[in-house]
Amino acid sequence: MEAADTLADAGFTVLEASHADKALKVLENRHDVQVLMTDVDMPQGSMDGFALARLVADRWPTIPVLVVSGMGTPGPYDMPDGARFIPKPYEPNTLVRTLRSFIHRAA
Amino acid sequence: MDAGYDVSAFQAVVGDRRLSALDAENRRSGAATRQGGVDATDATLQERIDFGLQEPIVVPERRVDADGSDANPRPADPLDRHVLWTTTDVVMVLDRDGRLLRVSENGSALLGASTAECVGRPWIDAWSLPESRAGIRNALDAARAGRPCRVQAMTGADAPSWWDVAVTPVAGADGRPERILAVSRDITDLKRNEARQTLHMQELAHRVKNTLALVQAVAAQTLRNAVSLEQAGQALDARLVALAHAHDVLVQGAWSSASLSGLVAGAVALHGDGAPGRFAVSGPDVTLDAGHGLTLALMLHELSTNAAKYGALSTAPGQVAISWEVAGPEPEARLRFRWEEIGGPPVAPPTRSGFGTRLIARSLSHDFGGAVSLGFPPTGAVLTLEAPLASVVAA
Repeated sequence: MEAADTLADAGFTVLEASHADKALKVLENRHDVQVLMTDVDMPQGSMDGFALARLVADRWPTIPVLVVSGMGTPGPYDMPDGARFIPKPYEPNTLVRTLRSFIHRAA
Repeated sequence: MDAGYDVSAFQAVVGDRRLSALDAENRRSGAATRQGGVDATDATLQERIDFGLQEPIVVPERRVDADGSDANPRPADPLDRHVLWTTTDVVMVLDRDGRLLRVSENGSALLGASTAECVGRPWIDAWSLPESRAGIRNALDAARAGRPCRVQAMTGADAPSWWDVAVTPVAGADGRPERILAVSRDITDLKRNEARQTLHMQELAHRVKNTLALVQAVAAQTLRNAVSLEQAGQALDARLVALAHAHDVLVQGAWSSASLSGLVAGAVALHGDGAPGRFAVSGPDVTLDAGHGLTLALMLHELSTNAAKYGALSTAPGQVAISWEVAGPEPEARLRFRWEEIGGPPVAPPTRSGFGTRLIARSLSHDFGGAVSLGFPPTGAVLTLEAPLASVVAA
């Protein structure tokens, strides 16, 4: 919720999804999503943030993926190629900067 | 030898560090009563046989210690032998090739077979796991080269036992390693505790990070929705206190769960004005996982704060009914939670969407994955929350 506010303040249009399955539905229904940001721990839904990141990287290779978590660092096979990881808590600026650089790179 | 037991000869044979310590201790305690050395006796010979030494003992010449105590070689007392072989450690004497010559009675715990069966066989055979085998082999090589070595190794793949093994060369007549002493201590419990502690530390680090992230979010939200810096400061203080209370409940659940009754009781204690009958609380004990517990605690805080400012807790006759129930059979059981204010002043919906309402509308429905509704009928604020029980209770 706070991340969404931070990003909205920074000029992003934020589409919130409470868990991975909802996020996938959003991606299936919209074609203007430029970047995916996900937490690892998602009590609801059928998969965690790592699984979602891998799935999105596979199905939508043009959408860059950012994973955030308070849980240490990802294991060797957790993250898809090209995805970024930011440990929590993070500075809001780091989040905004990282997402902006993603979009620049993709553009 | 009266009160003091001399193990110096013994130590010359064995050279184990623990025995040196024992030796020193003995020398200290016996210094007053001991009168010089005692000649070699039959006991010494028996000692040598016990240790698998067939050659007559020649103890390397030793000088007087720096502290002036007598360090001349002296034959061992039978009691010393007793001391060594009754330790809870597994004591083994090996030949230079690493074959077992003698094993203490408790040896089967390490060998996985009766000690009698194993005498004469290579000790390394007792270590089946590659890593342990390599460690033991290195230690034996070191001992053969005259260096004592200490290694931790594991036996048994199914029910693993950890051992702290001291491998020490035993000098022969020519001063070169003739036998090898291996003293193994079972450190399985120690290792298990160590592993558990590491896990706890990782888990704790994870939880602290998540808590800090939550505090960060609460602070940012408070500032974002603040009308003044002073108001923001007060609101933030109160929110952090509410979080701290919720953590007390979490600590009782070993940081991984929170009793719903405990969280509600905490909020009631924090926000009640002491007047009896302010809160009517009813519900079965449900143990929430940490994340949901904290979200719910924050929500209770927001509702209570709101009630104290504008709602039922702002006037004397006002009351808050907090109730919850678990409905339906497992595994589809659902948690139904209700907060209802009555008897307060007439209520109008808030004109501004503050942190509290936003938290309820967004975080709460996200986190709980269920239906949340917050209404402001004139009789008082009503919150209802319904979520699948399985997704919010502690595993």
